[in-house]
Amino acid sequence: MARRVLALAATAAALRPLLPKRSRVTTRAALTMHDYDYDVIIVGCGVGGHGAALHARSQGLKTCVLSGGDVGGTCVNRGCVPSKALLAASGRVREMSDDDHLASMGISTNGVSFDREGVAKHAEQLVNKVRGGLEGSLGRLGVDLVPKFGVYKEPHVLDVGNGETMTAQDIILAPGSVPFVPPGVEVDGETVYTSDEGLELKHVPEYCAIIGSGIIGLEFADVYTALGAECTVIEALPKLMPAFDREIAKTAERLLLTNRGVDYRTNVFASKVTPGKIGEKPVIIEMIDATTKEHVETLEVDACMVATGRVPNTKKLGLEEAGIEAPRGFVQVNDKMQVLDKPDGDVIPHLYCIGDANGIQMLAHTASTQGVSAIENICGRTHVVDHESIPAACFTHPEVAQVGLDEDAAAERAEKEGFELGKAVSHFRANSKALAEGEGDGIAKVLFRRDTEQILGVHIIGLHAADLIQECANAKAAGTTVRDLAFTTHTHPTLSEVIDGAFKECVGMHSH
Amino acid sequence: MRLAALWCGASALVVRQQPTRRRLRIAPRMAVSEIAMPALSSTMTSGRVVSWLVGKGDKVEAGDPVMVVESDKADMEVESFEEGYVAAIVVDEGSDADVGVAVGYLAETAEEAAAFEPGAAPAAAAPAAAAAPAGDAPESVSVTMPALSSTMTSGTIVSWLKNVGDKVEAGDPVMVVESDKADMEVESFDEGYVASILVDEGSEADVGAVVALLAPDEASIAEVAAFGAPGAAAAAPAPAPAPAPAPAAAPAASSSSSGWVATPGATTATPKARKLAKSKNLDLATVAGTGRFGRVTEADVEQALGIAKPKKVELVPAVAGEAAAPLGSVPMTGMQQAIAKNMEATLSVPVFRVTKTVATDAFDALYQKLKPDGVTVSALLAKACAIALVKTPLINAAYGASGTIDYNDHVNVAQAVALDGGLITPTLRDADKLSLTDLSAAWKDLVGKARSGSLKPEEYQTGTFTISNLGMFDVAQFDAILPPGQGAILAIASSKVVPIPMPGAALGVGLQKQMTVTITCDHRIISGADAAAFLKDFAAAVENPQSLV
Repeated sequence: MARRVLALAATAAALRPLLPKRSRVTTRAALTMHDYDYDVIIVGCGVGGHGAALHARSQGLKTCVLSGGDVGGTCVNRGCVPSKALLAASGRVREMSDDDHLASMGISTNGVSFDREGVAKHAEQLVNKVRGGLEGSLGRLGVDLVPKFGVYKEPHVLDVGNGETMTAQDIILAPGSVPFVPPGVEVDGETVYTSDEGLELKHVPEYCAIIGSGIIGLEFADVYTALGAECTVIEALPKLMPAFDREIAKTAERLLLTNRGVDYRTNVFASKVTPGKIGEKPVIIEMIDATTKEHVETLEVDACMVATGRVPNTKKLGLEEAGIEAPRGFVQVNDKMQVLDKPDGDVIPHLYCIGDANGIQMLAHTASTQGVSAIENICGRTHVVDHESIPAACFTHPEVAQVGLDEDAAAERAEKEGFELGKAVSHFRANSKALAEGEGDGIAKVLFRRDTEQILGVHIIGLHAADLIQECANAKAAGTTVRDLAFTTHTHPTLSEVIDGAFKECVGMHSH
Repeated sequence: MRLAALWCGASALVVRQQPTRRRLRIAPRMAVSEIAMPALSSTMTSGRVVSWLVGKGDKVEAGDPVMVVESDKADMEVESFEEGYVAAIVVDEGSDADVGVAVGYLAETAEEAAAFEPGAAPAAAAPAAAAAPAGDAPESVSVTMPALSSTMTSGTIVSWLKNVGDKVEAGDPVMVVESDKADMEVESFDEGYVASILVDEGSEADVGAVVALLAPDEASIAEVAAFGAPGAAAAAPAPAPAPAPAPAAAPAASSSSSGWVATPGATTATPKARKLAKSKNLDLATVAGTGRFGRVTEADVEQALGIAKPKKVELVPAVAGEAAAPLGSVPMTGMQQAIAKNMEATLSVPVFRVTKTVATDAFDALYQKLKPDGVTVSALLAKACAIALVKTPLINAAYGASGTIDYNDHVNVAQAVALDGGLITPTLRDADKLSLTDLSAAWKDLVGKARSGSLKPEEYQTGTFTISNLGMFDVAQFDAILPPGQGAILAIASSKVVPIPMPGAALGVGLQKQMTVTITCDHRIISGADAAAFLKDFAAAVENPQSLV
């Protein structure tokens, strides 16, 4: 089967008018396919849609992407990409302002200054470059990129406006998500804003409130504090940084918040946020206790960043009209990314949904992986994404990264499945490279099954954690044992030896 | 990370752990010390003595393992903190003891150990308190520096996670300690209220040293703090908050640059300002806020406490976003007041000014050539002045109050540096004798110190001549005010390209870069001809800059 697919893919372009467009379908089905405009139409052109389109072309499918005018989606335009530019610039300001750190390496500066507009421009230019690259790759591979919105009508059919329809053998929904704004919060885009506007860095507040201590909130706190602002983080849940392993969150709290004079409130809702006007009036934030709902405090700040999560961008997809139930906007899918008509419902034929819209794991690279997986399933090769092996990273200074289960979840699984949980921790402070950089803060923690010695989760906070997690994610995906990993060689002197130390400790070996 | 995490998952290893918990009474020390059941993890509430590694009468050195304890996670060897002789073992092998309870005793001498009867001791758990002399010491619990590894002898407190007055539950992390291998959060084994912090963040303490005191209840915080602080003098970490220099009643909301009146009861001060004020027991309502919307900033609190640090300065005018320009009366900083006083004092000095245009093409070319070696414009200008000063020593002299001309045997060229909210004149001493690279390095060093506020008096008060350079700000010409105690100051404006008659060039006109310099002199000792001579020599040095190298 695989061989046939390859052969067809190689000749598909030349033979297209004569041949069934797809290799996986039965001959009978193939004959009916001439009726469709495309083999696959992807609604949405974010990282998920892009990943799906690239893989579709590599499988020889005739592919169209309906971008809705938003080539690149959230990640490229309003998310991962511009935030990395801001973090890179502000991170340098932070480094160069840290006189003690520099002095310990024999360096002094004549002070650091930055031009806010210049920093913002760096982000904007990066966005344009990355978006250009993404668009270029689609064109080069022969994907038709159409700037229209797609609305689902029925199997194979999309309404693209003005009474026009487009058809495809299979449709993949990849509409992404939009920032969630809690009730009572008024966003004006200037003084009260979400990541959509915040990434434009229109001004640097003196004092900023950040609602939400998730990855987006923490990254913004990192940028703002580096540029000289003070921050208060408001978290509705009883514990800070709910996305992190508890032990990592404690360290992150110290390194990313306390040490930078950032304070926080937990178990508190920002029940009413009234925008201010720059130079005229501050933003007023009224807070209530999450449990008692009683007013606890009112804050006056220059700006309020709302980072309270994201909701699926599925309102205008025509799902309801098509009889597809999507609780809170989340499109229900099975593990092959096929859309279900309701939670645990029936498969809607030839319809897939990937990325933030299905809510399984709202990460750009997860969307892309799901896109590839959906195409595999479309091609008849059953494929299921191992979500537990997908790493996630927070690009603060230092970075936080994780893959798999956190300690609480791992302990729960150990209890349930009756195995012994193993845990090993190693420290950046014992790593030569980290010390050379003067960045000894941080830990790496490996959670594993003592019986099979397979990884359950790895959690890292420290210099370049986001790069260090990949080895662990690959090992987890492949089922490599910590014992095998402990016997692999890690380059000296690199930060990877932090991970090496943890693997060795897992099996009772010493690394230093 | 939590202390406990070190040992998790390491059950294959026997890890050494020292009894990190020591409940010390502040007053009369017992001659016999406890060996207490340590907490080997954050969840451990009791442990079993698997085996004793020592017997009664045995000599124990600090660091010697004395017993093996089984906790919920692992078996661990426990080391002794102190040296001594095992006086008693009160919890037998195989028996459990609650964390913190004495399982054995150490005596200072073999004799004491032999004579020791556990029953006579201020022994096990609660009776300890009752048996102890009820002296003046208020009851308190010491937080000590734990041993985070078997090799650790001292640790640095990276940060305190609790402030004085905070309530601490058993198991709450109270501080972060940096050891040779790791930073760890250290948890409290007791509950109480932080009465005093004896070792500040960033400071080091020996293992076992008391770093903070916990009071049993809120009411006794002051008592414990007063009693426990080392020495009466140091007992007041916050000497009754310095009277705020701000007007007595200056509630933050009273006025602000934007005319904004704060919402009653709203939190307006920044987090750092609030933290600092809380730690120093300062009422924020008494602090005048200079931040946006009248907000109290950390700097305002420092000002109110009289501990204002020299502000970190950006020498390049930074784009500060939409920071509102200050309005209304803002108190001057100490530096600003000193400048004002010095300037007023110059009014009694009769001065005159002489201006000259100097071509800078060659100078700029030389600078571009030497820049990769770290040579700066400031060093080049200082050198040019120094050369001219050596030729006209009168310009380097000062007027003596008793009717003398005080010649200087050093040529010390000061240069004005603008700081955020002030001005200072770091001085390149012996500028005539030092090489350009040495001068450049010295200048960088001085500017760095000026920025951090760490200039020593001899580094900014020993100038014999001053340069004020506004070349980077695109100004055509200006003059400077003579600093007290000096004979002259040179004001250097920006260089500009100007057309000049140039025989032989196309149309007889060529282009030249020029800057205008103006010297201000004390006319009591310096005459116009002296000033002109100096400017001629200065111009010669700039226009033929090889002489500078």
